[in-house]
Amino acid sequence: MFKLKDIHKAYTLGPMEVEILKGVDMDVKKGELLAILGSSGCGKSTLMNIIGFLDQPTSGRYVFDGKPAEGLTDNELSGIRNRKIGFVFQQFHLLPKLTALENVCLPLLYRGVPAGERAERGREVLSKVDMIDREHHRPGELSGGQQQRVAIARALCGSPSLILADEPTGALDTATGNEIMDIFLSLNDNEGVTIVVITHDPGLAIRCKRSVRMQDGKVVGQ
Amino acid sequence: MILGENVRESIRSLWGAKQRSLLALIGIVIGIGSVIAMVTVGQIVENEAIRQFKEMGTDICIVRLSGITSGQKQNKSLNLDDIMAVPEHCSTIRVVAPYVSTYSTLTFAGVRKSCPALGVTEEFRNMFKVPLVAGRFISDLDRHANFCVLGSSKAEWLAEQGVNEPVGEKIVFGERMYTVIGVARAVPSGTFSPYEINEGIMLPISTVLRSPERPALSVFGARMIGHGVSVHASEQLQNYFNYTSKQKTRITSAEELVAQMDRQMRMFTLLLGAIGSISLIVGGVGVMNVMLVSVSERRGEIGIRRAVGAEQNDIQLQFLVESVILSFVGGIIGLGVGIGATAIICHFSGWEFFVSKIAAILGVGVSAAVGVFFGYYPARQAARMSPIDALRSA
Repeated sequence: MFKLKDIHKAYTLGPMEVEILKGVDMDVKKGELLAILGSSGCGKSTLMNIIGFLDQPTSGRYVFDGKPAEGLTDNELSGIRNRKIGFVFQQFHLLPKLTALENVCLPLLYRGVPAGERAERGREVLSKVDMIDREHHRPGELSGGQQQRVAIARALCGSPSLILADEPTGALDTATGNEIMDIFLSLNDNEGVTIVVITHDPGLAIRCKRSVRMQDGKVVGQ
Repeated sequence: MILGENVRESIRSLWGAKQRSLLALIGIVIGIGSVIAMVTVGQIVENEAIRQFKEMGTDICIVRLSGITSGQKQNKSLNLDDIMAVPEHCSTIRVVAPYVSTYSTLTFAGVRKSCPALGVTEEFRNMFKVPLVAGRFISDLDRHANFCVLGSSKAEWLAEQGVNEPVGEKIVFGERMYTVIGVARAVPSGTFSPYEINEGIMLPISTVLRSPERPALSVFGARMIGHGVSVHASEQLQNYFNYTSKQKTRITSAEELVAQMDRQMRMFTLLLGAIGSISLIVGGVGVMNVMLVSVSERRGEIGIRRAVGAEQNDIQLQFLVESVILSFVGGIIGLGVGIGATAIICHFSGWEFFVSKIAAILGVGVSAAVGVFFGYYPARQAARMSPIDALRSA
């Protein structure tokens, strides 16, 4: 699916340069369910942003779907995020003014899919996460777990090759978190979606097929 | 399709920030409203100024005669027959209406009032479009007769003396007694019509020329055979009067005056429009301000949209659509406000009210343009935001 080779990422904060990633290597195959485990500040979110084409590494080589990810224009990056990647965030990141269905269909809107087709596909993925009866609700009217289901549906809606989940259960209680995790497991098992889950919770990482541990900007254990 | 979606979302988001949208709207409403009002008032004033010419016809001109250059003695004075013979000798002139003014005291029932008078021919009424309230106008058959037609202000004066139906009454002007045969209605005063039509009385020209004051003939109105012949007419008249009485002619045609007035009025309208535009710019800055606040408030939303694959152009379009809608709605309301203000101005100044199509189209078009112009910078800022930074503030 994708390969990272000696990825470095540094930010300039005032006069100081802070290196967040200090040479990350990683190889993720199609159909994997991988957990990236690490305490906060270890650079796992930065790594996810790089994998998700939201951010570029300072140095290193990133190959996605067999193609190097360097020198892409902003529109190409947007296109890859739109078609190949589905994001699930800790804070759900749904647009509060849109209904559940409209939120789910957002990736298709930017792909130029006609409204009717969008809604049809949106309902399809909403039923996959058991949220079809809430399609007209706005995020504010949904519980945290329900919002995260909608967010997963949005990530699925564009049929991406990779789903990136950044602390997807971090804002949820354990029971709800487990339900969300079940959804990821079944998506991976039944539909073969490649999923990378970023978490600080070892209990969650154990449920994934594979996990890597990050510490201080490096992968320390496969 | 994405545009339709943008329009829907923009309305939703503007509605969501009602107070802020309303404030920006007020700026645009005042801006567009003042442009519309200013330009429309300019056009109405222009229309008002030109209206009297339009009524008289733009094929008329005023010819003024003066003695030839000093040193040479004026051996032959101008006489009425020379003027009346103008249409026969000048092919460009259809009819003439000579007039001569004089001044004396009007006496009625022992009350005296100073009063100008105009000696006119029958044609005068037609040329300067003098409407009558009562009686008849001076006729060419009234040669040397002591008849007069009252101007509107003198008719009012007589009414103050208790005479409500002046036709048939006798008044004294100067040393002679005149019979009132008609009353004229007020005409719009302007550069062309002699002011005596409203302010004085009108007498047969032959009567005035024979009066002891012996006023000199020096001016006449003429109607030309059509438009665009004033230069030719001027030459013919100069030649004719050079031959008959060694007089110099100065011709003022309504056509030229109207053209000149048009130019001046256009400048005037432009000036008013420019003044209005300043408030429009202020309104536009208000829109820009609101959009900038909106962009910085919605960084998170921008980040989310970018994460799911929105291109910079999509984000830019979204915010641009929002500012255009804001300005456009302001423009429509401003149009109403501007027209309303113009109607009120016209009501109180007695001008003829009309809605200028150009101002309306201009106002609505300009408001959309203001939206694009002042919305571009905030929209660009939204689009240029780094997705990762934007997402972090979500």
